[in-house]
Amino acid sequence: MRKLLAATLGILSAIGGFVDIGDLVAASQAGARFGMAHAWVLLVGVLGICAYAEMAGRIAAVSGRAVFDLVRERLGPRVALLNLVASYLVTVITLAAELGGVALALQLATGLSYLLWVPVAAVAVWLVLWRMRFALMERVFGLAGLALLVFAVALFALPTDWGRLGHGALHISSDGTNWSVYWFVAVALFASTVSPYEVFFFSSGGVEERWSAADLADARSNVLIGFPVGGFLALSLVAVAAVAYHPSGTALDTLDQVARPVATALGGAGLAVAVLAFFAVTFGAALETGLSAAYAVAQYFGWQWGQRVSPREAARFHSVLLVSVLLGVLMLMTTINPVQLTEYMLVLSAVVLPLTYLPILVVANDRSYLGDRVNGRWMNLLGAVFLLVIIAASVAAIPLAIITRMGR
Amino acid sequence: MRLQLAKQLLDQQIVDREGRLVGRVDDIAFAVDADGVPYVDCLLSGQGVLGRRLGGRVGRFLVSVAERFAEQTPVPPRRIPLTQVAGVDSAVRLRCRAADLPPPPMETWLRRHIIDRIPGAHRASR
Repeated sequence: MRKLLAATLGILSAIGGFVDIGDLVAASQAGARFGMAHAWVLLVGVLGICAYAEMAGRIAAVSGRAVFDLVRERLGPRVALLNLVASYLVTVITLAAELGGVALALQLATGLSYLLWVPVAAVAVWLVLWRMRFALMERVFGLAGLALLVFAVALFALPTDWGRLGHGALHISSDGTNWSVYWFVAVALFASTVSPYEVFFFSSGGVEERWSAADLADARSNVLIGFPVGGFLALSLVAVAAVAYHPSGTALDTLDQVARPVATALGGAGLAVAVLAFFAVTFGAALETGLSAAYAVAQYFGWQWGQRVSPREAARFHSVLLVSVLLGVLMLMTTINPVQLTEYMLVLSAVVLPLTYLPILVVANDRSYLGDRVNGRWMNLLGAVFLLVIIAASVAAIPLAIITRMGR
Repeated sequence: MRLQLAKQLLDQQIVDREGRLVGRVDDIAFAVDADGVPYVDCLLSGQGVLGRRLGGRVGRFLVSVAERFAEQTPVPPRRIPLTQVAGVDSAVRLRCRAADLPPPPMETWLRRHIIDRIPGAHRASR
């Protein structure tokens, strides 16, 4: 049980990345349009994020420093500033999308327009960041996010043809649609799986929890439990959408449609659990992205950051946090559709992915921080191969978005 | 102490005796001793210092942000005498406490005008 609780940091990080608003949208759309044909993308994503989160956790445990804390020392203030600006923008747009997701979940629960819920959600997120203990926060939202398992359960109640699902996962086809649309969806799903803020959050969280070299095993179990669980949840989203929508080829573009198959399969109780899960994962991810944005800025400038000191002792950190949440609210108040905002956010995330992952690989090979615990040969091979995949996704993201007109 | 300044000192995190984060080594001030030999006198920290070091449009922007939040302009850099440095490993460790150093102007401004006005600002969330 203690191990399980210790893994909640990983689960929360993973839920933020794999099954936040980005995945609710991307995974379900992938399932509805292409069945299980994108399952391999999740597999590749899980493998890659596990490798990189392991490196980030190791760096945090051994050097007591978050990865992005080290970027400026290694890449110099100019490159690091560019990295900071890009990562901050993407993270704040993600924060806006997550707040939109929280508001949409509340709209599903109450019937009141999500726009009314946006300020409420933002205040609630900010209050949690202002007051709640880090460990409690990750436990509450990490575990509540597991309510998403209801999608896996729903699969058994739906008329699921397991053979066909398996066949669809192994025999990849674009189902008559344009292949460029297939690849666009793949890139979006991939970006939602390996979102940059996941590693920001994971490594800074390790520092907040004061991991030391003795906690390396804990860090590893966080990675090896948390991220695969997140991947499994995302896979069940794909599968449910595949079973419910793929045969008829229905397009899927609201959160309501994501939840509907669960309601069909398990009735009102199922729907309630699904809505609770939406709320928990988007709320958790909003916390994560808000913190990550502020971590990135504070770490670049060397300011005091974190939940361990009182807010007045980290006034700059908490000011950035406040401003980031406000920016998120402003974005949503333009009445941009949160689901669309999520789609754009995923393309932008894909573009900046290398800026996040390359520095991790560099630092994980630096003996002045890690001593003997630098990457081994196999880890570097895995890291390098995955980095190539990331660069390919990053380069392809915008051309694919233009060719397919955002996958329409 | 033998150090490669650019690699091991510049841009490093500065940490006080109690583990509080003080800032980064945004620049280094040299002085010249009686024999004309230059030596490192102080570590300089602050966005203004960083802005001046970076130069260009980006640097000027950082300086202007720093000045907006300062009581006096130009913002004097926070100087940390080398005598206060206990050692350098993955960070620059100080002998003193952060509270003994001159406070960072932006932190002070934001604390006074925003954060302290919100209830609960004095309580750590643990």
